[in-house]
Amino acid sequence: MSETIARPVSPPASPAPPRPPTKLTLRQRLSIADVKIAPWLYISPFFILFAITGLFPLLFTAYVSLFDWELLDETGTFIGLENYTELFGDAQFWNSLVNTISIFLLSSIPQVIIAVLLAALLNTNLRASTGWRVGVLLPYVASLVAVGIIFGNLFGVQFGLVNNTLEILGLDPVNWQNDRFASHVAIAMMVNWRWTGYNTLIVLAAMQAIPRDLIEAAVMDGAGAARRFFSVVLPLLRPTLIFVVITSTIGGLQIFTEPKLFSELPGSSNGGAQNQFQTVTLYLYQSGFQFQDLGYASAIAWMLFLVIIIFAIANFLLTRRLAASGEADR
Amino acid sequence: MRQQLQRAFIGAIALVTAGSLAGCGGDDSAGGSGTTSSNENIELTLGTFGEFGYEDLIKEYEGMHSNIKIKHDKVGQGGPYHEALLTKLAGGSGAYDVSAVEEGHLSDVLSKPQLFNNLEEIGPKDVTKDRWLGWKYDAAKAKDGTLIGYGTDIGPLAMCYRKDLLQAAGMPFEPEAVKPLFATWDSFFQAGDTYVKATGKAWYDSNSQIFNAMQNQLPVGYVNKDDKLVIEENADIKKNWDKVTAAGARGQTAKLAAFSNEWNSGFKTGAFATKTCPAWMLGVIKGQAGPENEGKWAVTDAFPNGGGNWGGSYLSVPKQSKHPKEAAELAAWLTAPEQQIKAFKAKGTFPSQVKALEAGELLSTTNPYFGGIKDGELFAKMAQKVGPAQYKGPGDGQIQENATSPALQAVEQGASPEDGWKQAVDAAKRIAR
Amino acid sequence: MTALTVPDRRAPVRRGRRGFGDQRARFWVYGLLIAFLLGSAFPIYWSFLVASRDSGMLTEQIPPLLPGGNFFANASRVFDTVPFWKALGNSVIVGGVVTLTTVFFSTLAGFAFAKLRFRGRNGLFLFVVATLAVPTQLGIIPLYIAMSDFGWTGTLWAVMVPNLVTAVGVFWMRQYTAQVLPYELIEAARVDGCSMIRVYWHVCLPAVRPAAAFLAMFVFMTSWNDFMWPLIVLNAENPTVQVALEKLQSGYYVDYSLVLAGTTLATIPILIILILLGRQIVAGIMHGAVKG
Repeated sequence: MSETIARPVSPPASPAPPRPPTKLTLRQRLSIADVKIAPWLYISPFFILFAITGLFPLLFTAYVSLFDWELLDETGTFIGLENYTELFGDAQFWNSLVNTISIFLLSSIPQVIIAVLLAALLNTNLRASTGWRVGVLLPYVASLVAVGIIFGNLFGVQFGLVNNTLEILGLDPVNWQNDRFASHVAIAMMVNWRWTGYNTLIVLAAMQAIPRDLIEAAVMDGAGAARRFFSVVLPLLRPTLIFVVITSTIGGLQIFTEPKLFSELPGSSNGGAQNQFQTVTLYLYQSGFQFQDLGYASAIAWMLFLVIIIFAIANFLLTRRLAASGEADR
Repeated sequence: MRQQLQRAFIGAIALVTAGSLAGCGGDDSAGGSGTTSSNENIELTLGTFGEFGYEDLIKEYEGMHSNIKIKHDKVGQGGPYHEALLTKLAGGSGAYDVSAVEEGHLSDVLSKPQLFNNLEEIGPKDVTKDRWLGWKYDAAKAKDGTLIGYGTDIGPLAMCYRKDLLQAAGMPFEPEAVKPLFATWDSFFQAGDTYVKATGKAWYDSNSQIFNAMQNQLPVGYVNKDDKLVIEENADIKKNWDKVTAAGARGQTAKLAAFSNEWNSGFKTGAFATKTCPAWMLGVIKGQAGPENEGKWAVTDAFPNGGGNWGGSYLSVPKQSKHPKEAAELAAWLTAPEQQIKAFKAKGTFPSQVKALEAGELLSTTNPYFGGIKDGELFAKMAQKVGPAQYKGPGDGQIQENATSPALQAVEQGASPEDGWKQAVDAAKRIAR
Repeated sequence: MTALTVPDRRAPVRRGRRGFGDQRARFWVYGLLIAFLLGSAFPIYWSFLVASRDSGMLTEQIPPLLPGGNFFANASRVFDTVPFWKALGNSVIVGGVVTLTTVFFSTLAGFAFAKLRFRGRNGLFLFVVATLAVPTQLGIIPLYIAMSDFGWTGTLWAVMVPNLVTAVGVFWMRQYTAQVLPYELIEAARVDGCSMIRVYWHVCLPAVRPAAAFLAMFVFMTSWNDFMWPLIVLNAENPTVQVALEKLQSGYYVDYSLVLAGTTLATIPILIILILLGRQIVAGIMHGAVKG
């Protein structure tokens, strides 16, 4: 529709009396309108859709969190901030928060590093490059049923492959299910396995857009491969790295599928016998859909939101500093 | 909650999108009003999970009622099915006219009888309590007297055991001979000690499987008739806890969580010698142990301290249904003895109706995998031994699944029985809050 | 204006050379990549393995590594048990629509957020990112109410509409556009008299094509694997692939050779899409780097 606006063929333009030169032509005015309106037009689909499908759940969750409201109740009792104050004294909530942050750190950090390195590998002159690129996305394609069974078999406590291997090497088997830290490691491996390829392709796409002459100039200057990578490539990747870090922060702190799949009991949201790997989203889900405490679950959701925002801002600042000096996008 | 939310929702939409959503507004009115026509023809939705064995019955019913069309939604697993059902009940629309509810999820909805039609009121008058086993019928009655669902199938408990392993341990192993071992929980644990001493291997699969069976035999459960949590006040619960954890500490538990991968392979490897065994468990054992173990597993018509039940479902008619009378008629017909016998023949769902349990077709079935035993007759007998229904207050099922079972597992993993008990009580309090 | 070139971004076209790495890939690179690929592909191969044998394989101490001969038998059981083709068609429609709209709206919004000036730009963009931080688990109930108010439950609309555009997509395209699209290029096009939408179509889109292709892959896969929401809003007569396949897990004893035969079948269309779009990433870079 902007096409028609831009076309200078509108009939009133030609027979109109000559205007004073100070006035803008219709075409110029349309062009200015175009510049003004276009951004709003382009971002509007997201916001309209958000208004239809995203905003209501958001407001709903905020509203319900102020009530003692059971899942199947017609209405709740207003209790103000009581859900929140109760949450502060809830040991299971703090436990789940610590689990979440632990799993998040164990997964996100190696994931981003491996993704960048792997992207660098994929960015070399490879045969059958499409194949490799598609290949790294395969973990995300695999069905969750298969992933659950395979990781269950890998990290099985009594007959698992990992423990069998450890025993062959003369090491003690690890109780992957019941040892708190070990379970976090196992879940982090699962997360990394599923998501590293995704982040790799993101970084790769950005790397491929780096102009070759910049690299070549660095080669001319005698910069070694490592130096080239850190002082030329990384700063240029800044916007993409910010994306990767922010989305893995958000995704990592909302981690749900992997700990649920890792549970020995199919479908359990307990995160192990002593909640040793129950994450905040699992606890949130359990409170809402199993314990039917919708108000409380909503309070958990908002607390998690705050935590995520804090982490996201911190990581944003960190990334900006790490990849500083890249002002290419300004 | 629906009405309030709906108003809030429309307000939110109007607020944000003002005029820009004209296109969507049109769609809104077009979609909602499809079902209000006063046609004679009625479409009923039926929601089940797993295998109810209703496929042919539905066709039969449609043949008998030319104006009724049944849309059957069949979800594979109970977990996602009940989550979707709860969402629809909470959301105020979309629940099936006839919605199946599993026994383990009954306590999730039993305290919200206002969401369901009372089948004693709207159901056919000739369908009365005496159609079902007494405990099955009573379990679906809410405190206010609402009958939430008609019983479909049950999972009466017997004991399954590894014949060959008991023989190797020098213990009795023929179905008749083992009965004294499974007479009471004390004799069960005693036999377990003998077995562990002789073989050094585990007697049963996990503490929680034994504890749950004991718990369900108590007159009062975790929650009493006043919907008060009584896990601490009810001394029987702690007594059972001590017995089970002590037996586990003496090496009787294989520490395998039910339905985990290692539990599955445990049937094949002989990781445990006995299994509390509802009727449907025979299929699980056959599948997991595999053809190479045919004849090694056996089942006997004994269960410690009487009997018990694990599993089985109900057909409910939520208030959301636009055709409650017709839905109740369908549910009543499907749960009649004649139909449940057909379902049993189709998919092996064990019927809960008195007449069905006396039917020749049921009593004459045999199971070659378990040495040709007459399993229909065996479980029919065990169904009669189930004690009076224990009132399942709100959160009861959740406490079993998310408080005591994990805590018992924690004890198996090294926590002291007292710490485990404290964990269970704390979790139960959180669930009941 | 299609002849617009970017002086400082033009890649000297050398035979067989792409990217900035100046070394030819060495053997160790291939070794690492092969190891990575084996790890990535293993569950899919394993699913096929179980699907071609029987479930007994799962409880064996040392599982076999070669396929058996049961795959076609198991696959035909899948076709007998679930309305696979209907479900496949639905999933293709949902995935296709959602992918197209998400990519279109995300590149459009990403372009505006990255390169156009307007009041409240940063605030609005932060808002987009912040919506990602809201846990979605509880939103399912109000969303269900909304969809049933629109009368969309039971129809594919209920699955498609909430996913027509995602915050992740907007965020990603904004970051990528900021990196790859220089202002000079936009200004040159504006001087040539291009309207904004033409700048988007002829300048922005070619430059961001690799990122758009990746987004398309990811959105399609996510839509394809989505399970709980479609299960709630659709019904047995009109399922997506994952909803239909879940029915294979009925009964207390799950026959995994049947279940995994189903998931293997459902993986094939995704692999095809991946390969098609994967080529786009490569093609996009060649194209985007040479001219605008």
